Amino acid sequence: MSQIANQPDLSGARPKSETTILRAEHLRKTFKMGDSTVVVLKSADLSVREGEFVAIEGRSGSGKSTLLHILGVLDEPDEGSVTYDGKDLVQMSGAGRSRLRNEQFGFVFQFYHLLPELNVLENTLLSAMIKYSWFGFRSNRPTLRKRAEEVLDSLGMSHRLKHRPNQLSGGERQRVAIARALMNQPRVLFADEPTGNLDAETGKQIMGVLEKLHRENGQTIIMVTHDRTLARQADRVLVLKDGKLERAET
Amino acid sequence: MYKLHLILKYLRKRRIAWVSLVAVTLCTAMVLVVISVMGGWLRMFRESFHGLTGDVIVHGESLSGFPYYQEMIDRIHTIPHVKRAVPTLETFGLVNVNNLVRRGVQVVGYRIDQIGDVNEFPSSLHRQFNSKVEEAEKSGEPLTEQEKDELKKKVSFDLPLPPEEYRAILSRVRNPEKKSGMICGIGVLGIKKDKEGKWPERNHLLDLWVNLTVLPIDAERRGIDTSTPPPQDIFWIVDDSRTGIWQADQASVYVPFDVLQRMLDMDAREERDPETNTVRKIEARTRDIQVSALPGNDIYELKRQVQKVVDQVIADRAIPAYYPITVETWEESQATFIAAIEKEKALVTILFGMISIVAVFLIFCIFYMIVVEKTKDIGIIKSVGATNAGVAGIFLGYGLAIGVVGAGMGLLFGYLIVHNINWLHEQMFRTLGQRIWDPEVYAFDTIPNTMDPKEVTVILVVAMLSALLGAIIPAWRAARMHPVDALRWE
Repeated sequence: MSQIANQPDLSGARPKSETTILRAEHLRKTFKMGDSTVVVLKSADLSVREGEFVAIEGRSGSGKSTLLHILGVLDEPDEGSVTYDGKDLVQMSGAGRSRLRNEQFGFVFQFYHLLPELNVLENTLLSAMIKYSWFGFRSNRPTLRKRAEEVLDSLGMSHRLKHRPNQLSGGERQRVAIARALMNQPRVLFADEPTGNLDAETGKQIMGVLEKLHRENGQTIIMVTHDRTLARQADRVLVLKDGKLERAET
Repeated sequence: MYKLHLILKYLRKRRIAWVSLVAVTLCTAMVLVVISVMGGWLRMFRESFHGLTGDVIVHGESLSGFPYYQEMIDRIHTIPHVKRAVPTLETFGLVNVNNLVRRGVQVVGYRIDQIGDVNEFPSSLHRQFNSKVEEAEKSGEPLTEQEKDELKKKVSFDLPLPPEEYRAILSRVRNPEKKSGMICGIGVLGIKKDKEGKWPERNHLLDLWVNLTVLPIDAERRGIDTSTPPPQDIFWIVDDSRTGIWQADQASVYVPFDVLQRMLDMDAREERDPETNTVRKIEARTRDIQVSALPGNDIYELKRQVQKVVDQVIADRAIPAYYPITVETWEESQATFIAAIEKEKALVTILFGMISIVAVFLIFCIFYMIVVEKTKDIGIIKSVGATNAGVAGIFLGYGLAIGVVGAGMGLLFGYLIVHNINWLHEQMFRTLGQRIWDPEVYAFDTIPNTMDPKEVTVILVVAMLSALLGAIIPAWRAARMHPVDALRWE
């Protein structure tokens, strides 16, 4: 972990392909609620190709976020498998999953989840700080800083680098969250209700950002939302119903 | 990199953690001050008492001393590692200082031209040593160690004033200018520091006379002979001594060995037996022989060899049992005092150490609170790829940072307190009227104010480890958090 493998390149363009990079089969997940057990996912199957924008739609409490967390190795299924580039993520070690989340995946959450003590630039650099050792970060600092600033600039946040999250609007915070997710040029971007906490206008802007990332940079995006209108902006829409994924009605 | 970055951020921004910082600072400072004072007291005790007695002491257990001491000294001087052996006397007496002060004192007889080879008595003298050292320092040309050694060799009981002055002071006494000199402990003469903490000028004491009365004790006779008046003589004060040991300075006077020996009837003489009309030789006696070793030698080995010499002389000369003689190292002779202080130091250290455990629990509680408060942040950090070990490392590093900064600040405060402790004590006395450090109890008139680097290092390391210990469980809890549960935490 000493040198950046690629030149900082916002495009990070990867051409759309027919190759399935992420596949989930027969996912089952239950939660214990007191004495009862709630089955959130019964047998969810999903495959995502490189460069695809997939939206998973469902009612509140349908298990969308749970599915996203399992796909992004933030959580483990009770049954089923998840493979990424042919690697079994369920059997992977904790350290391996952490590395995957840092280098291959990026997360955007409904409530932004920025660290309050860090400013905009520091929050964006967080994933890079985790990726590199102290020496690696120090020696690559100019390059990493430049990349962070470019990402933030592309998201219209270059004038807020020193501001802390409590000094930003909701939309600005979500932009910073997206910047953080993109910092290490992830192959897959997971977005959990990215506009859920924003007003309509701001939500539209954020969706515009995601669309642009997908259209111009070929970013693979898996988004969960309860908003059908937003979901329709994706290449493919799936509906999570009764713990299973179905193709959405057109 | 992120761990260090977050630790530094949390250290600056999380004010609740400053409480644990203050706790570590106070505990470190407190333990440093206590151990420095107690350890310093023990060191002062050892150095000062060692400075009074030499390395090995041949000690006559009774006030009547023991004979054939010169033979013992001659044989001791043949031991390879011996620097010097010097006889000394010690007894009780009464002094009348210029008809102003009358009190009981410990009377010590020294061969002052030799005593500097076995103990530090010459460097305790004001007129003949310390005032000259201070004068040289004030003039900007401090004395070298060699010059100081030369000064110590020149100390004496010689009268400093012209003979006619002594004759003028005690005109009723025959040949007062031929009387011997006496050196008094500083407390005997009532000399004290002024309000500014400085010792006063005391050249005016040099025209004071002292009438000393002693009680000779003959081991061969039972009791004290009261048929004749107890011996007394006039002495002139030639200097004062400040050893730093309260008991010595308050109640000791020093006179020439030969003069005291004569007053105590311990000198060599001839006695006619009235019944047989024969003259018998009475051997000279001394109370102690102080022996110093050459530097770098084992004093316990020296003790063993001196014991052999003493046993041999006792056997050769058939010294009777009513002259009990022991041979001890200086540590053994002060064992009771030293052991008591060592135990007191250990006890105080343990007690303050136990109080410091409170700081560990305080850190634990505060860090536990911080981890709970930071639950969501922990989820965020893990979602971006931090491992469980990495997250634990943040809080362990945070705890260690608290320990390092707290210990550093504690060292600073501790140093300031210890360095200025005598001034602080004086201010406390002026403000509150309370004198905590009583010289009569603690044997020294100043509170020790130096830090031992080894003790300081141990205390600082323990402080840092204690802070780390307080953070272990919270760090483990943070590591075990499931990222999804953490992100959902309200």
